[in-house]
Formats: sequence, structure tokens, C-alpha cells
Amino acid sequence: MKLTRRQFITGVGGGALGAVLAAACGVPEDELLMQSKVGMPEDVVTGLDNWYATIGNSYSTGEGLVVRVMEGRAKKIEGNVDYPINRGKHSARSEALLQDLYNPDRIKAPMARVGQRGEDNWEEIGWSDAMSRVAHQLEQIKDARKNREVVMVTNPSVSHAALVAERFISAYRGTKIGYETLENTNLRHVVKDLFDQDRLPDIDIENSDYVLSFGADFLNTWISPVRYMRGYGEFRQGGHHRGKLVHIDSRFSMTGANADELIYVEPGREGLLALSIAQVIIDEGLGDSNAAKELTGDGQIDVGQWAPDKVAEIVGVEADTIKHVAREFASKDHPVAFGGGLAGAHTNGKSNLTAIYSLNYLVGSLNSSGGLIFNPAPPTSDLQEVEDNLKIGSMSDWRDLVRDMEDGKVQALLIDGVDPAYGLPEAIGFKEATYNVPLIFSFANTINETSAMADLILPCNTVLEDWGTSVPMAGPGYQVVGFQQPVVRPFFEDRGEELGTKSTSDALMGIAANLEIDLGLEGSTFKEVVESGAKQLFELGRGSVKAGDFRAFWTGILQRGGWWDTTSIVSSIKPSVKQLPEKISDPEFTGPDGVKTFNLIPFSSSSLGEGENAHLPWMQSMPDPVTSATWQTWIEINIKTAEELDITEGDVIRVLSAQGTDKSSTEGINVLAYPHPAIPPGVVSIPIGQGHTHGGRYSKGRGANVMSILGSKLDEQTGSLAWAATKVKLEKVDEWKRLPKFENSKPDLARDSEHRIIKITPIKEKH
Amino acid sequence: MDGKKWGMVVDLDKCTGCQSCVVACQSENNIPINDEPLFNQRRAIEWIRVERYWEGEFPNIKARFIPVFCQQCDDAPCEPVCPVYATYHNSEGLNVQVYNRCVGTRFCANNCPYQVRFFNFWEPEWPESFHNQLNPDVTVRSRGIMEKCTFCVQRIRRTSRDAKKNGTSVEDGDRALNPACVNACPTGTLVFGDLNDSESNVAKLTESELHGDHGRGYHLMEDYGTNPSVIYLKKVDEDAELEEAHH
Repeated sequence: MKLTRRQFITGVGGGALGAVLAAACGVPEDELLMQSKVGMPEDVVTGLDNWYATIGNSYSTGEGLVVRVMEGRAKKIEGNVDYPINRGKHSARSEALLQDLYNPDRIKAPMARVGQRGEDNWEEIGWSDAMSRVAHQLEQIKDARKNREVVMVTNPSVSHAALVAERFISAYRGTKIGYETLENTNLRHVVKDLFDQDRLPDIDIENSDYVLSFGADFLNTWISPVRYMRGYGEFRQGGHHRGKLVHIDSRFSMTGANADELIYVEPGREGLLALSIAQVIIDEGLGDSNAAKELTGDGQIDVGQWAPDKVAEIVGVEADTIKHVAREFASKDHPVAFGGGLAGAHTNGKSNLTAIYSLNYLVGSLNSSGGLIFNPAPPTSDLQEVEDNLKIGSMSDWRDLVRDMEDGKVQALLIDGVDPAYGLPEAIGFKEATYNVPLIFSFANTINETSAMADLILPCNTVLEDWGTSVPMAGPGYQVVGFQQPVVRPFFEDRGEELGTKSTSDALMGIAANLEIDLGLEGSTFKEVVESGAKQLFELGRGSVKAGDFRAFWTGILQRGGWWDTTSIVSSIKPSVKQLPEKISDPEFTGPDGVKTFNLIPFSSSSLGEGENAHLPWMQSMPDPVTSATWQTWIEINIKTAEELDITEGDVIRVLSAQGTDKSSTEGINVLAYPHPAIPPGVVSIPIGQGHTHGGRYSKGRGANVMSILGSKLDEQTGSLAWAATKVKLEKVDEWKRLPKFENSKPDLARDSEHRIIKITPIKEKH
Repeated sequence: MDGKKWGMVVDLDKCTGCQSCVVACQSENNIPINDEPLFNQRRAIEWIRVERYWEGEFPNIKARFIPVFCQQCDDAPCEPVCPVYATYHNSEGLNVQVYNRCVGTRFCANNCPYQVRFFNFWEPEWPESFHNQLNPDVTVRSRGIMEKCTFCVQRIRRTSRDAKKNGTSVEDGDRALNPACVNACPTGTLVFGDLNDSESNVAKLTESELHGDHGRGYHLMEDYGTNPSVIYLKKVDEDAELEEAHH
């Protein structure tokens, strides 16, 4: 329609009049907003969404999650408010499971190696071809009956996926070993030896009033950080008290950053420091006198040798500090002492942790409010079977495996979702040994260092596409079984039955079916196995999900994301007190001779973990909490030391260990300097997670892998790797590269002491 | 008082600096991937960021963390300087950015004392498969557009609309209402709600901590008189006495 100028003006005037009249008649503001000519962010009309409950695997203790799904696509992940571990909260790592699902570098179909091993050349094959190849090749070696002919390396979980793997590997009389990059072997030994417990305890931080932690970065990456942070929030401002956090460490961790008192200790001296604290408590009669008597073997052990004045210099902590911590610790109502991570990562790691955890005897914090809460056995027989057969590898186990691989004893290696070729120190020689293994099958969803060495890659569903269960590695003090369900259809489903991804468990069951092996599982698909697990729980007739029939129970369990029974606790009997170690041996280190060296402390990255999240751009770009660095590998070096060595931020530093200098293949690693005001002068620290030689666009060829240069010293008592026992020398390479970090992206807000950005106050007791 | 006024309380005594809020925000609000060059150009976008300040010298050194995001100021310095009214104050106390009005003068970012406005220097790009995870409730901002924290206005509108439809009212602490950062925060540092509802957690905390005696509440850089809707609670530190004494 042609519009004259006059008609236009009339129209506009009329419209304006209409608007005035409408306003006068009291049309609500939001009705007008809906008609706005520009699209305001408030006006976007949204579609319908569904939220499904499931379980994430971002830490060794999984988080309960709910996933927002719109039109078949996962959009957002949040914590499941019901789930006992995280109660609605979640970590950044869980959020990034979306990018695991939609990762552009995912493997889209089974792939068979073309050319030589490790060349990373592949051709796509169909699933039936892939499964019959695996079945056929395993069949051929089945009758050889050699020792350890088939080895499966997998995540150390207690779950129905582990049940399928366990049954599969037993059918071959093979071995299944759980893999942890930073192993908790020493911790498990200590929990067993001291408290006779088969599972890691919960730490009741929210009800504690004094937390004494040794080396465990529990607010960042250790065991179950979201659960601990949830407790920490309550511990700080829960209304009933404000607890005190004393953290003992030899680097500046995120937990150290949040401590009320951070005590730097010489690396490997954590146990001696704990014994010195115990000595003060015993000597001054502050703790439980019976416990003191038993700890010292009725005076047989001379605790006087650990008096603060005698050990202060060795541990690098002033005697007065030791005394005041001991007195504070013993005077509180609900103190708790625990350790792990760095404290257990020395050649004397087990003794360190024994001394640390023994402090709990003196203050009665075992299986009581605010202390260590023990966890009961899994509720059903199939999960109990998995736990009974659970073998988590120590470094000496990996050494044995590598030796067997080198000797040609290992006929087939099945790698399920883990990356030992990245995480084991190069000194162990795992990657080289793979050349001696005739068959390597890898279940993975992106190429990594280990799957790159495989003959056949079987691409697995991601967490959000798969069924599963999970018993938390450190439960909440009662029985919990988390349930994982596919919240979306497999992303590559449109590629048909033969291509795309599968559940690893379904693939294993398919291979077994191919060979007509009966795994003794209830059901022919993994979903049915998970369902049969739920049936066992239903038959218990107790717990969080109540239903008259199994169908209703099954729906209930999937809606709530799991099953738990708050009454199924470890009864409150106190474990008998074990005697303190008579002596703690000195920590031993390996490193280059005749030059100035630093203690190298690798640490798990808050975002990349131990390398498993390097393919996720949200994790690569998430600033490290303390340094704010992203996308690269940096080395934390004391700011004054750096000044003395003429090192500035971004200088490329070559880090050489004895391991690196011995072998021509490894010439140390190059990392970017980050002069750090809070790290002790004798220590340098490097995050784990980068330096992938294989992988996708976000991870490959970026930064350096600190695990590769670690020496291979063990704690001889347990065979656990002393991953903090490496000394290194630093060489400045004539190169500078900007360290990508968020710090200084925006001008500093802090102005002066009168106008603080972060205000602090000494008061809070106003109740 | 009639109507809503959205506000947030940030308890610095609980914040560990873990960055869960940062990634939750990136997921909810379709923040472009901050790749390595963006960090080096200092153009990375984080609507909520965790700043870390050092205090003291080794070995008596402390790192302190503070989450910083749009303070949704009642007297926002960013609003009057926009020549095209792309940023305005709505009736619920939100400082709203209208993307398709924005012409990218960056005056607002220049005028924001909190440095929480971010400019899209580049067209955001994702590999195609990542398009599946983008939140359909939130506009993807193109090159040349200013953006910032909205208190997840899409969640506020959705819950308000649902409440209206069902004849109920928006509930305090409803997880569908809370911004993504609040739901994620493992320690419960962040609390969100209606400051005009005297029964809400934020109103109660504001009453006791900001207006009450011995409260820990304060506004960030309050001497600027921006009247923020975000209330910070001071970090508690046994050693604080001396440092605070000269105030």
C-alpha cells in the first residue's frame, strides 16, 4: 500500500494517542514491554525444558547433577539438590561435561590403526567388524593360559560399569587395574591400617570447629572438593560458629590461600610436624590420656624426640607455632586432622599420613560429629563384588605391568577411559613398552596419548549419553548409589548402528556375546544391568526411594538421581588405637647433582585435572584460582628467587630432572615463568594437565607435561609413587612468551588502604 | 514497597576463589570461548570474575578472593553516558543492556568503576557441534556489542512468567530464579533475591549485616555513590584488628 505523508502523520499521531490512552487505562508495564520494537533481553520468549538427574565423573567422588535438555540437546548442568555429596552445588568441571558431549574432536566411529603403532593414522570401521575383531583376537590368545595375558586398565570406580568390566576380565583370567594419576595408595593404606576401614572416610567439616589439614588441597582438587567446599561454607558462616582452618603445606595451594593460618613445612616433613604436635598434646596432658598411653605403647615410644624445639629446624616451622597449633587443636570441641596429596607423596608418605591421622585419636574425632566419619560397605552384592575385587594400581604395580609388557607376557591391553601413557612418569617406560604388546584396545572418546598407541579405538559414549551407577569414593557417611542415565540420545546416533559411539559396557557385553561367554549378568544390555542393580536396591526395602512396585521405584531412582539410606551408617564403635611410628624416615629425593636444585611440586590443575579435561575449552580458559593463568603451563617460582635469577614473567624456563638429563629422549620441559609472591624459595610448582602430544584442537601441542620428568622414587612401604620427591634444575632459555592470564585484563580495583576492595574484620561472634 | 528489586549478597568469608561461578555463567549466558589470544589481548570476557589480591610478604602473605560482576547500581554511571539508550534501568532495579540498540561507543565501559562491562571485539565463533549447547534463552552478541552480567534476566523472566501463569508468586531461593553463578557456588557465597521482600534472605542479610550493628556488609567502592544492588560481607580475619584500626 502506498502511504502519503499525510496518512503517515495521522497514523503516527493516532498510534501515540492510542498509547497514551492505553497507559491511562492502566495497561501493565510488562504488557507494553512485550510489544517493544526492539528485542530487550527481558522479552525473549523461551521454549520448554526438561531437567534430568544423573551423575558426573569430574572428580574421583562423582557429583549428582541435573541437566537441562531442550529439544534433545543438553544446555546446562547444575548440581542435584538431593544428592548427598554435593547437594545442589557443582564444580566448574561438571559444567564442562557439556563440552565433552559436544566436543568437535570426538571420535565418531570405531577406528582401526593404519600403518605403524603410534603413527596416529586411522581408518573408520563398523561396530560389528570392530567387536568381532576384538573377540577373534582375544579368542586366539585365550588358550595360551599364560600368566597375566589380558590386562585391563580402567578408572578405579565402584559401579555397575566396573562390574561388567570385572566379569569380562575374569572370563579371561586377566587382571583389572584401576588407574589414578596422583595415587592415593598411601592414604588407603593408612585408613586401613589405623582404622581398619576399607573406604575413605568423609570429613565432617561443617560441624568441625578446627580443621588441621596437611598437604591436601581439599578446597580445590582433592578427593571430593565440592563436598568439602559445601562444608567449608557452613564451617565459616553457618551461624553456629566460625571454625579455624590451619593448613600445612610446602607450596601455596588454593586451600592454603583460604586458611586462617598457613604453615609452610619442608617437603616430606609433614609427618614429623604432626608427631611434634602430638608430643605437645601428650606432654602437656591436653588430649585423651588413654589414647596418649596407647599411642606411645605405654611409654615405650620416646615422644620427647619430637619436642618442638628439637624438630623445629628440620621441619622448617618455629617451635612456638607448633606449640600453639597443638594447644589450639586439643582445646577445641570438634577438631579434625587429615592429610593427603602432597603429604603422602614422599618416600616416607605412608608414615607421614599415619602420624597425621593418629592426631585424631588424641582428640576423639573418629566417627563423631565434626571429625572423620567412616563409610559403610556398598548396599548390594554386585557392588560389594566390585569393591572386593577393586585393585587400584600403585606405582610398583605399574612397574610390574611395564616389565611384563616388555617381557612379552601381556598379550592384550584394554584401556578404558584413562591415559596412563600421559600420566605415568616417562622413567617408568610405559609408552615404549606398548610396542611389545600385540593387542591394544582403547575405549575412549577423544584421541589421547594412550589411545594413540592402540590397534583399535572403540569410541565410548560420554557421561551424558550413558547409563551407569556410582558409589562415591568417599561417601557421606552412609550408603549412597548414584544413578546415571542418558540425558540425550548419543550425539552420533545419526551415523547409524554401525558407526557412532557406544557404551563401553555394552561393547564389552557385545564382545562377550560374540564369543558366547556368559558374564553372569542380569540382562543383555548395560541398561538392563543397571536396572537389575536397582532391583537389588528395591528388594532391600529401605532408603530414600519408596515405592510399591519396581517400575515406580526405578522411575523414582532416576528422578532423584540415586538411592541412599541415611540410617545405614558405620556403628559408632571406636577403632582401637594403634601405636605411633617409632621413627619417620627422612624423605629422599632424586635430582641432578652438583647444581642448585629446587623441589618440584606438581599439582592437579583445578580445571584440567590431571590432563583429562585438556580438550575442553571452558577448562582451558578457566583461570587458575591463584595465578589466574590459562591455556599454558607455568612454573611458580618465588618472586625474590626469580629476581635473583633474573627471571621475569613469561620467560621460558627449561626444567630438568635427573630423569630428564639421563635420557636423550627427554630433555626436560619448557614452561613459562610466573614469579609468585607466596611460594617458598626452595620450591617450584607446575600444574599437571597440558603437554599433550596427541589430542584435539584445544589440547594438542600446548604447554608441557610435568609428569614426564618426574623421578620414579617410591614409598617402599606401599609401592606408591613419591611424586613430590623430584628435584630439578632450572635453565633460562633465551625466549619470552606472554603468559595468558586473566589478571590485569581489567585494571586493579584496589586503590589504597583507606578504600579497600576486600574489607576485612576481626569480629563475628554476635550471638 | 511495590515491585521487585533484585539484589545479591556476596559473603567474602565463604568464597574460596574456585571459579565455579565463572564457568556456570559462561555456560548459561553463551559467553564466547576465551581463547589464548583473547587473554593476551586482555579482551577475555567474564561477566563474573574472581579477583585475587595479595596482602603482605612471604611468609606472612595472604591471597584474598572477591567475585566481581555488574553491581546493578541504582545510580549507574554507565547509564547516562549511552547516546542510544542501549543501557537503561528497569522497574525491577536491573541495569539492562539492549543489544540491538548498542552501537559500540564503549562509553559505558569507560564509565563503569567496577570494570564489569565487556566489549565484543570479535564475532564470537564456536565449532558447529558446540552450537548445540548454546542457551536458546540468551542472545548471542555479535561483534561491536557491549555486554555484561544481567543477573540472568532470562531466568527471572521465566520464573515470573510461570508464576503469573500459575497464579503463584516467585519464591525466594527458587533455583529456577537464581542466577547460574548462585546455584553453582559450592560454598554458598552468593545469595540472590528480592531486596523489597523483607522475608527474603538477601533482605534479611542486608538488614542485619549492612544496616545492623557490627554487621559485615558494605558496598564495593561505596564512596562513588553508585548505590549498588550488591552487598559484600567482609572477610573475617583474626589478624584484621591492626589493619582496620586506622579506619
